[in-house]
Amino acid sequence: MITSLTERTQTKKFRNLLISIWKYRMVYTLLAPGFIWYIIFVYGPMGGLTLAFKTYTAKGGIWGSPWVGMENFKYIFVDQAFIHSVVRTLEINLGRMVFQFPMAIVIALILNEVIFLRLKKSLQTILTFPHFLSWVVLSSVLITILSYDGFVNGMIKAFGLKSFNFLGNEPIFVPLLYITEIWKSSGWGAIIYLAAISGIDSEQYEAAAIDGVNRFQRMFHITVPGIMPTIIVMFILTMGGLMSTGFDQIFNLSNDAVRDVAETLDMYIYKISFQSAPDFSYSTAVSLFRSVINMVLLLAADRIAKLMGKDGLMG
Amino acid sequence: MKSTKSLKRRTIGDYVIPAILIIWGLLVLFPFLSVVVISFTSETEYIKTPLLLFPKEPTLESYKRIFEDGRIASGYFTTFKLLVMSLPLSLFLTTSFAYGMSRKNFPGRKFIFYFVLLAMIFDGGIIPLYMLMKDLHLVPNNLWAVVLANTVSTFYMILMHNFFKALPDSLMESARIDGAGEWRILANIVLPLSAPVLATITLFYTVDRWNEWFNPMIFLQKGDLQPLQLVLRSIVIDAQMDMVKTGGNTIELASNFAMGVKTAAIICTMLPVMLFFPFLQKYFVKGIMVGAVK
Repeated sequence: MITSLTERTQTKKFRNLLISIWKYRMVYTLLAPGFIWYIIFVYGPMGGLTLAFKTYTAKGGIWGSPWVGMENFKYIFVDQAFIHSVVRTLEINLGRMVFQFPMAIVIALILNEVIFLRLKKSLQTILTFPHFLSWVVLSSVLITILSYDGFVNGMIKAFGLKSFNFLGNEPIFVPLLYITEIWKSSGWGAIIYLAAISGIDSEQYEAAAIDGVNRFQRMFHITVPGIMPTIIVMFILTMGGLMSTGFDQIFNLSNDAVRDVAETLDMYIYKISFQSAPDFSYSTAVSLFRSVINMVLLLAADRIAKLMGKDGLMG
Repeated sequence: MKSTKSLKRRTIGDYVIPAILIIWGLLVLFPFLSVVVISFTSETEYIKTPLLLFPKEPTLESYKRIFEDGRIASGYFTTFKLLVMSLPLSLFLTTSFAYGMSRKNFPGRKFIFYFVLLAMIFDGGIIPLYMLMKDLHLVPNNLWAVVLANTVSTFYMILMHNFFKALPDSLMESARIDGAGEWRILANIVLPLSAPVLATITLFYTVDRWNEWFNPMIFLQKGDLQPLQLVLRSIVIDAQMDMVKTGGNTIELASNFAMGVKTAAIICTMLPVMLFFPFLQKYFVKGIMVGAVK
């Protein structure tokens, strides 16, 4: 008696589901083209990550190569070059968090204080411009002005000093990365924070004006708390990239003279994938390792933000 | 907020702050300016004074050289071909998927959400993608490999989805009652209302294609299929080689002003962005406003 009742409700549920699927059939035709693209070109390569558990043979390809279990991963942790590249990556990214991350916020806060609106617009345009150029272009520009016969060394020489090696100089390569990344993207980052600032309730500012608070009090007691959710979202996203240093920038700016400091995880993966004697299954294992760590960090940062009572990435 | 500000007396800070930002802005622009100046300078003049702020006798010599070289023109052609191939496809896939996702209550909505989320936060990496392109016979010299590897940007798709979701439901509901299918609604009702977001997304896709170089470097190994960014890279590397050969001594490069050729190539590559960006910047900003602010 009871089973037949649950059975009946189950078949009814199933029928309702079919009816509503039929009702929304047009929605599925809308989703289908994009879905197929995702399956082939995003999920296909994700499936291809199984190569990390195989040993690559040219004949077998991804799907036909023999399985070796965790063999590739055992090798990862005794591979000195890999460990070195992880350390370099973490060092560089720690610096990026300290020096680069706050710059966009600082620029947004300062831009927000500009009361001449047309000037503010023009400044925004200028500061966001480099973001829309590739690192190929930007590094070419930098190499031009920083080389021995470039403008900057011309200036140094004009002051009677000896010309300085900017590009092939290990100790300054990493600071150069920070400065040039700030040049490229802090203006664009500031736009995101400015958008958040424009969403702050203006009554707060009016009340503060009546109370006679000064500029800095206004900044730190209204504006910064007002954009905190956005800062947290941006920070979570940064955490999700802790194992990546931005291949484009380092690949285009580095040269043989700074090869050692420039060998981050991205560069190492590129090297073992495409340069002399590539090992496809090992490099896939390394890049899988990186993707997993990045994803775990992203989700962990998101979880922590939520536990602290803040909005995470997904509301 | 504006009204309370204008009531207040202006302080020194109101002038110091813009001044700081103007200096910062000049520093940001300066490297580009320097490159523009060098590209119009003759070799003899550059060697005399590399500190030039404006060439006394502007010359188009470097641009003539770079066009005689022919690679820039062929790079432009390839990049345009990539844009023509990819933009319609990108826009079609992005809008139809985003609109489908923005419909409420259809069974499997949760699944699609996680499907897209995983695609965004997890990356298969370049090797499996390369192998896939090889299996599809799109490597080593088929532009479709570059197009298909990046056709949909999940980020832009979500941006568009947010826009669609904010449209008033009543519009689509009444069309639905009149018997219009979802594709009709998308084409006749939703898209005409979405001009700003469509413009933004088109611009984003265009700029991304214009700047793309890593996938082409991996997927396109034939010389005559190099997009602009890769052409620039090889010109800059050639120029470095010339410098190395002569020990960095530009005076010996009488026949080939490496600095001039290089800077002219840089300007050619960034020219469209340089020309259009000041007018289009507001669309990019609008896009990020729709997408990033929750």
